[in-house]
Amino acid sequence: MAAPVTRAEVLKIYKTMLRESSKFSFYNYRMYAVRRVKDAFREQKAVSDTSEIQQHLLEAHRFLDIIKRQAIVGDLYKFDKLVIEVENNKKH
Amino acid sequence: MMASLGKVLCGTFFTNTSLRVLRRYPMCAARRYLSQSKIVNNLNLQTCRVPVAGSGRWYSDTTAASRLSVIEVQTRVLKVCNAYDKVTADKLSLESHFINDLGLDSLDHVEVIMAIEDEFGFEIPDEDAEKLHRPKDIVQYVCDREDIYD
Repeated sequence: MAAPVTRAEVLKIYKTMLRESSKFSFYNYRMYAVRRVKDAFREQKAVSDTSEIQQHLLEAHRFLDIIKRQAIVGDLYKFDKLVIEVENNKKH
Repeated sequence: MMASLGKVLCGTFFTNTSLRVLRRYPMCAARRYLSQSKIVNNLNLQTCRVPVAGSGRWYSDTTAASRLSVIEVQTRVLKVCNAYDKVTADKLSLESHFINDLGLDSLDHVEVIMAIEDEFGFEIPDEDAEKLHRPKDIVQYVCDREDIYD
């Protein structure tokens, strides 16, 4: 059986996923991805079973790949910024 | 096929080479574009050179005046922490512990650190980030990194 997942490992992928999510160029996708990642990790916060955590981590890696890929694909079809983005051009 | 080639060429930038190709292989569709693109052909590319910026040297812009002060770092760190929605403003001080005093969890802590990274424009490695328990620690870390002493 694989080694138990460390806390640092989970936090690392959490951070990476948030970073990658904020690379979506389209506002709605970006907001959704960031929100979804935050919610998903909070949902599984109480999980303590080792193999279950392992399972979730694998899933997280799979989703990280999806996020990375889709952020790139989204870049290929760039669109104007939305009206709500122009006022405060900083990411939320 | 010819017509479609002409269409493609129309959408691309006409270079001398592509015009030469067109001349060598004249086709009815392409010839039309040749006449249209005369302006492009007459353009003297030599005059379109991008001006080179500045003749002197470039100096570093981190002069003493533009450097951050410790106070400034403190206010910016507190501002970022305050902006995080789960932090209550009245409990926040430089000394308050993120997890014990402010009631954040480790995921929140990661988010605060990310906000700090965005604010100061550099990345904090994970092993350093987990040692930053209080706003004070962050201020110290940023000051060390930016070479700020008081």
